[in-house]
Amino acid sequence: MILPRLALRNLLGAGLKTWLNVVVLSFSFVVIIWSQGLYKGMGDQARVAQTDAEFGGGQYWQEKYDPFDPLTLQDAHAAIPESLQTKIEKGEAAPILISQATIYPEGRLQTILMKGIDPAQSVVNLPTRFLDQENEDLPVLIGTRMAKNTGLKIGDTVTVRWRDVQGTFDARDAKIVQIMKTNVPTVDQAQIWVPLDKLQALTRMENEASLVILAQDTREFPQTSGWIHKDMDFLLKDINTLVKTKQVGGSIIYIILLALAMLAIFNTQVLSIFRRRKEMGTLMSLGMTRGKIIQLFTMEGAMHSVLAAVVAAIYGIPLLLSFAKKGWAMPQAMDDYGIALGEVLFPVYGTGLVIGTTVLILLVTTIVSFLPTRKIAKLKPTDALRGKMT
Amino acid sequence: MKKVTAFLIISFLFVLSVLLTTSTWAQTPLTGEEILRRVDANIGSDNKIATAEMIIHGRRGSRAIKSKSWVSGEEKSYTEYLAPAREEGTKMLKLEDQLWTYIPSTDRTIKIAGHMLRQSVMGSDLSYEDMMEDPELLNLYEANIIGEEIYLDRPCWILELTAKVEDISYHSRKIWVDKERYVSLKEERFARSGKLLKIFEVKEVRQFQNRWVPTRMVFKDALKNGMGTEYKIETIEFNADIPEALFTKASLR
Amino acid sequence: MIKFILKGILRDRSRSLFPVLVVAIGVFLTVLFYSYMGGVMTSFLDTSAKFDTGHLKIMSRAYAENSDQMPNDLAYIGVERLMNELKKDFPGYVWTKRIRFGGLLDVPDDSGETRAQGPVAGLALDLFTPDSLEWKLLGIKDSIVQGNAPEKPGEILISDEFAKRLGISPGETVTLIGSTMYGSMAAANFTVAGTVHFGITALDRGAVVADVTDIQMALDMEDAAGEILGFFDNFVYREEEAGLAALKFNVKYEGEKDEFSPVMMSLHEQGGMIDMMGMINLYLPVLVIVFVIIMSIVLWNAGLIGSLRRYGEIGVRLAMGESKGHLYRSTIIESIFLGVIGTVIGTALALVIAFWLQEKGFNISQMMQSSTLLMNDVIRAKVTPMSFVIGFIPGLLSNVFGSSIAGIGIYKRKTAQLMKELEV
Repeated sequence: MILPRLALRNLLGAGLKTWLNVVVLSFSFVVIIWSQGLYKGMGDQARVAQTDAEFGGGQYWQEKYDPFDPLTLQDAHAAIPESLQTKIEKGEAAPILISQATIYPEGRLQTILMKGIDPAQSVVNLPTRFLDQENEDLPVLIGTRMAKNTGLKIGDTVTVRWRDVQGTFDARDAKIVQIMKTNVPTVDQAQIWVPLDKLQALTRMENEASLVILAQDTREFPQTSGWIHKDMDFLLKDINTLVKTKQVGGSIIYIILLALAMLAIFNTQVLSIFRRRKEMGTLMSLGMTRGKIIQLFTMEGAMHSVLAAVVAAIYGIPLLLSFAKKGWAMPQAMDDYGIALGEVLFPVYGTGLVIGTTVLILLVTTIVSFLPTRKIAKLKPTDALRGKMT
Repeated sequence: MKKVTAFLIISFLFVLSVLLTTSTWAQTPLTGEEILRRVDANIGSDNKIATAEMIIHGRRGSRAIKSKSWVSGEEKSYTEYLAPAREEGTKMLKLEDQLWTYIPSTDRTIKIAGHMLRQSVMGSDLSYEDMMEDPELLNLYEANIIGEEIYLDRPCWILELTAKVEDISYHSRKIWVDKERYVSLKEERFARSGKLLKIFEVKEVRQFQNRWVPTRMVFKDALKNGMGTEYKIETIEFNADIPEALFTKASLR
Repeated sequence: MIKFILKGILRDRSRSLFPVLVVAIGVFLTVLFYSYMGGVMTSFLDTSAKFDTGHLKIMSRAYAENSDQMPNDLAYIGVERLMNELKKDFPGYVWTKRIRFGGLLDVPDDSGETRAQGPVAGLALDLFTPDSLEWKLLGIKDSIVQGNAPEKPGEILISDEFAKRLGISPGETVTLIGSTMYGSMAAANFTVAGTVHFGITALDRGAVVADVTDIQMALDMEDAAGEILGFFDNFVYREEEAGLAALKFNVKYEGEKDEFSPVMMSLHEQGGMIDMMGMINLYLPVLVIVFVIIMSIVLWNAGLIGSLRRYGEIGVRLAMGESKGHLYRSTIIESIFLGVIGTVIGTALALVIAFWLQEKGFNISQMMQSSTLLMNDVIRAKVTPMSFVIGFIPGLLSNVFGSSIAGIGIYKRKTAQLMKELEV
């Protein structure tokens, strides 16, 4: 147990030089944790936003429903199966009926989706309660993007035309009762939300739905004929891919940073081995084996990372925490791809991330510290005592 | 030859019946249903060949599209576009409730089905579905006389049509029928809610072979801004001789 | 003295090689980091510029108002004349026209009847003009999964997933059914040259990349296009310049009352881009400064160490009567040389890689098993004039600074003790 103590004493004894290396290495710590946390946060946030507003705990799709093919909507509706109906009655699921429609803001027609949702639902986080208006003929909830596109404001009326189940045209003047701000473009762009019972009545698709959103804590997924269960992996595929891409890209930054820190440590190691030949000779003559000396020097180098972790913790924890609290403001540029990145990204630092980073840096530092020490193996105690190195 | 003769006889009888009935119509009070039957009789149910021009008013100015159509009864029709150059040679075949189009540049016959039927024809205010619909309103609607009005200097009945079948685009219509000529001069098509969706107005009526034919009319999507689509019939020939082979997919190419 | 020092550096490997190596590696990392960060920060912008906004974008006023509905009936007509005018009025930019469209892709069976059909979103690009920038811009060739890139008119690319679902393989003929800019139904035959992976489900479900001239013909959009995109010819976005260009253009057309007269928007004027620019302008310098500071610490450290290492040599030189001031100066001059040599080597190496990354990019998708067209998974760098200079901050300044601090030790040496120290 003498080695670690000796190594630490040597290291601290080197003063400024050690601290410089430690500070640089600590930067690597903080940046790695910060950037990975940011990407993780980005992913989590997008996942949470989309889960809250759209995906719930998975969905059941009527077998013909295909969100990417609006032509299928005409046929993508059916009576809600028994097993899902019980969930809906318990408030554990929310049915959505989707119908293609045309709206005429300012006399120019625009094809949209009309989505029916129960105003009282609490399965997804949408302000559907605003749709609970008995005195309105057709109350409509839209998102800010849709509002901007169409120039509609709260209180405006707009003509909506659709076809019922038989193909007969119907049209109403709908009233915008609320405009919601959401990070999720797929519950906003080119669509309007109306009360489910109204839509069912208007399209004459009583008790029918196109999909059923499950509550987030749903654990059992009953088999239903004609309805297909879509799990979270399926629904979140795009976000997961995005985050993975970003993480790989982001890792380049800290590979460079880490390389830099390693350069500093390598440099220090080479020098200290060169300068401390006499010391090594002395240790050898005192009976320490070469292996032990190699261990000592490697340990000294590796301890940089331990100190760095401590230093990083001292200034990094408050810094990272304040970041996690305040977040990083993001522009809405990813919107067009239908991915819900929020306006502010909040990094998420998991224990796995922190431990992983620490282990990684410790490992890399140890390797880098070990490399120059191999010279010691060739050292003869007599030469070393005289300060010679071959 | 046999067919032609048959056609001639049938048409002769038809014209005769028209002449005979016209004299008696004025006397007995007519029901909406009867009026509708006569409207259908005037316009439909035999072979005709027509050339027409459609003028589409868009935000960018107007375009004229010329076409020639061969129609046999309500079930079969064949249309060839003549102008502009881009549309020339495009053909459309309707057999009962099916529609195919042939586009020469692709040498493909494409079936227009489902969602595509709801698209506009050549950018007009008419959809393929509007074009496809059964011209015999009596099959689809109950008719009631709800008033009288002078329209285009002609005394008209106003009929309210309410759908009697389920799968129909327009739940109700209002038509203005010329009291003497049994030609529909104006039509409004409504959504189930009663909201006005489409307007169809006749601007000119001419007589061809003892029939009164609207020769200039305007269709308009009532919800959309714009001037609508004008439709002019340039020539029309009733009881024309049309070879049956025309109404097959093979004739599209 | 300089000659002496140079000789020393050249002849004594232990005196030159290691310090130069350290400086070179440090500078290499700094320059690479700087260029890479430039690339990362702009890649976000680039994706948007390439696929959507351009550095400048021209649309008809009416189209601009409803641009997310792809209203090709409102497209700008007179594209050729306008593009010639742009070339003349705005040198330093390259222009390319694009059409976004929607439609159905119809696959015939042997007898020409519909075998399969699906809705598609389409992007029409200039693919066949010899100096077209689209290939490089979008990296189309790298995203091809099956088949080849379109080589001649009438060839298109479609999403791979879509192709699989509809059972289309490269070489087959498909019919694109859409609507002309006047609203008529339009249909045109195309040969599927290859398939691509976009990386966005919405597009992977059904998308077409076609040549813009083909689509102009197919959709009756003669001399018309939805959008004309302009890019700085070195593809580096300069916010102010672009803003001025847009202003200049719009002033010219201000008088026209026609709703189809053109309007130009710079990248940062288009949806949400102002925020993005703000973020880049704020964070890029901060990141770079932090990194340069870190690097400086490392190289300062190296400078310190370099001087300490030659403790013995300095002792001998002092003992031989060299003045402390002279010795100090020569140490510093030597470190300047080492710094310059190291910086030049490091910068040169980094620039080679950065240029390669800038021009070719490094596709990380190989690590991710799937290559996508839309997601930016190509690592790129951006070389700016600053890339050439930035390495000198840590490489030269820090190194010399480190040496000068370490060199102060020279003055602390006591001549009386020298012989004792040298006894070894």
